[in-house]
Amino acid sequence: MDESSAPDEHLSRLMARAQQGDSNAYVTVLRAITPRVRQLVRTRRQFLGESDVEDVVQEVLLSVHAVRATYDPARPLMPWLSAIVRHRLADAGRRYVRQGAHEVGVDDLDVTFQAPAANSREETFDDLDALAQAIQALPPGQRQAVELLKLRELSLKEASALTGMSIGALKIATHRAITSLRRMLRRIHEG
Amino acid sequence: MKTDDLIERLSRDVAVAKPLPAPGIRTAAWMVWSLCYLVAVAVMMAAVMSSTAVVATPLYFVQQGAALVTAVMAARAALASVIPGSNNRVWVIPAVGAGVWGLSLVWAGVLDLQASGTLGVTSQTDWPCVISMLVGGLVVGSPLVWMLRRGAPLTPRLTAFLAALAALSVANIEACLTRPHAFALTVLLWHGGTVAAVAALCGLTGRRWLRWPDLTTR
Repeated sequence: MDESSAPDEHLSRLMARAQQGDSNAYVTVLRAITPRVRQLVRTRRQFLGESDVEDVVQEVLLSVHAVRATYDPARPLMPWLSAIVRHRLADAGRRYVRQGAHEVGVDDLDVTFQAPAANSREETFDDLDALAQAIQALPPGQRQAVELLKLRELSLKEASALTGMSIGALKIATHRAITSLRRMLRRIHEG
Repeated sequence: MKTDDLIERLSRDVAVAKPLPAPGIRTAAWMVWSLCYLVAVAVMMAAVMSSTAVVATPLYFVQQGAALVTAVMAARAALASVIPGSNNRVWVIPAVGAGVWGLSLVWAGVLDLQASGTLGVTSQTDWPCVISMLVGGLVVGSPLVWMLRRGAPLTPRLTAFLAALAALSVANIEACLTRPHAFALTVLLWHGGTVAAVAALCGLTGRRWLRWPDLTTR
């Protein structure tokens, strides 16, 4: 049977087994509900891009995992799942609005001088040896955050899963690391 | 991380997650704890105060009965609100209970006015009751919060408001049992004010203490 079209009754039974610690049943349930969740997210947030949709889908799966004990096997699974999707979408919407309130949209950047250096949007630093040394001088937590997020360009979720640090802690560590690096490199540059 | 990888990670060595009992059963468990608290306080207070301190009129029983119904229904509504897919109009019955409770106090105030010619607004301050309600609310409310945190914080503000309403309704019964009040309006203003203020504060801060677990560290 195609997992994504499995009838609710079958899913309920599988979820009940998953609650008892059956990994195979659990992976089947998660695989079966993922396309439905993705469809729900796409339908209700049509303006979201594919990567944003996938972020919400993953958030829903994490939530399902966190509160799987709230599912009553005697009841159908889909209303339970839909309620989680609906509330996680609302949370994502609130987060989106909050972030938007702190961002300023710039349609056209003013050109100051014709020289390429003056129009670079990236913060660049040529002395790579000094940069490597400065990164090595960071405290371990900050160094790890920079390596994962800035050098290996992992997402916050991926870095968090790898390190066991929370997303908030990673953001703080990265912010502090960048501030320290700026200070160290300015000192090298000036002296 | 790809979604397929996430699914693999979540299902690897998945722990047993015993389904939570129905909200009604969890409410009953919480009420047993709350009643034990009420009995303990009543027994302790009986040892130190006169048995005639509280005058139990029929209206007094209506007030305490309405407070008890509000407590039970608010606790049940709070516990149901952390179960995805449950009825989202669960707050209606506790609202009715709280309404009856408020109206019975207003009616008692009218009777006071007829009997004494005053509402007694300035005759009695009630800080001891406020303090005992805050302490009692904490004792009774803590296990309820623990129970709620095992659910899904879908509507944290409403859940927190209902939990505070439940805990403080029980604490109000304890305060009314152990301290006599000459005028009903004192109870309405001081007890009702405490319940309203604390429940509103809990509702406003609900998102801070009823949050989705941070799964990335699990």
